[in-house]
Amino acid sequence: MSEQIKISVYEVVGSGLCVASDDGQKVYDRIAAALREGRKVKLSFLNVDSLTSAFLNAAIGQLYSEFKEEEIKSNLTVSEMVQDDLALLKRVVETAKEYFKDPERLFAARREAVGDNDD
Amino acid sequence: MQLIELDSKLAECLIEDIEIDMSNVNWFAANMCSPLGAILYKSSQNLNTVSITNFNPKVESILTRNGFLCNYGRPAKVDAQETTIKYFRLEPADDRFFGDYMEKYLVGKGIPQMSAGLTKKFMESIFEIFSNAAIHSNTELGIFTCGQYFPNKHRLDFTIADLGMGIRRNIFETRGLDLSAENAIDWAVKGKNTTKTGNIPGGLGLKLLREFIELNTGRIQIISDKGYWEQQNDAQIVTRSFEHAFPGTVVNIEINASDTRSYCLKSELQSDDIF
Repeated sequence: MSEQIKISVYEVVGSGLCVASDDGQKVYDRIAAALREGRKVKLSFLNVDSLTSAFLNAAIGQLYSEFKEEEIKSNLTVSEMVQDDLALLKRVVETAKEYFKDPERLFAARREAVGDNDD
Repeated sequence: MQLIELDSKLAECLIEDIEIDMSNVNWFAANMCSPLGAILYKSSQNLNTVSITNFNPKVESILTRNGFLCNYGRPAKVDAQETTIKYFRLEPADDRFFGDYMEKYLVGKGIPQMSAGLTKKFMESIFEIFSNAAIHSNTELGIFTCGQYFPNKHRLDFTIADLGMGIRRNIFETRGLDLSAENAIDWAVKGKNTTKTGNIPGGLGLKLLREFIELNTGRIQIISDKGYWEQQNDAQIVTRSFEHAFPGTVVNIEINASDTRSYCLKSELQSDDIF
């Protein structure tokens, strides 16, 4: 079994148009499943043409509701992103960290994540 | 705003034949078909039959070329001038179709010959607005989109309207803040404010839009409920309130299409410095 799992955003979404929150959710589901298995994830943005904060909030920002910052930092890497998209991702990550600083939000989110996993 | 007054008049109509007389309209910004279409669609939900008559030929021509009048008994025509981005009513889940639509009507067409960097930023801004409408408005009657290029001014306008709950009510229901409609819009476009409450963070889309439009010396206009909010091309903010409410939210962006700024970052970000 491979220790690092490579996820192609283009393959998950089915196109280079990565703008919808629902499509971001599909990417999140794959990353979260791999991280829960203790794997490292390399997320490839090869052939992605358009990105929005709505997509990245769902795909990556949401990870901070379930995983600790250190865990994400050491287990998730991104590749083949152009500079503009990297800058957008950085903003999304900063916003997510700020969003989940609210302990009530974080508690509610983690409770929901645990509930989802129990289903 | 005349469209809001039209909505308040139509709100009283049920199972009626409604004639919209355009004889006093000498000019109509075609992108305004989005809020007009939203208002007329809402009225048709009350089983009213809408007809639009007595057009100035120029107004009729542009509303035919952008496909708007196809909804009101006129045949479709090709936009030989390629200055319109077609009018559509979409469902919130139609985001992929919306993406194809933007590519079909914007990229590689005569409207306008924008730099690659500007085209990317413009497309992403439009997607951010569409996502906002799809995520936040709870519209059950759809999202209305339309654009227009004004060649003489080198300006491209794009307008997205929804028939959802409006920004003021959304903030009140999710955050408990009882703001005036124009202050509610101002709250939504500022800082890290968001009405998101679940696992997916938010509060970035409208800020990114504002930053881009300011750099581009473009303009953003937002109408929601009774509120009006505008970021002018010198980045000044203007707000006001209307007597009647728009039944949802309208966002119009106007960009300077002749902008040659690259929109590429000068500083290099490393992919291992993101998380």
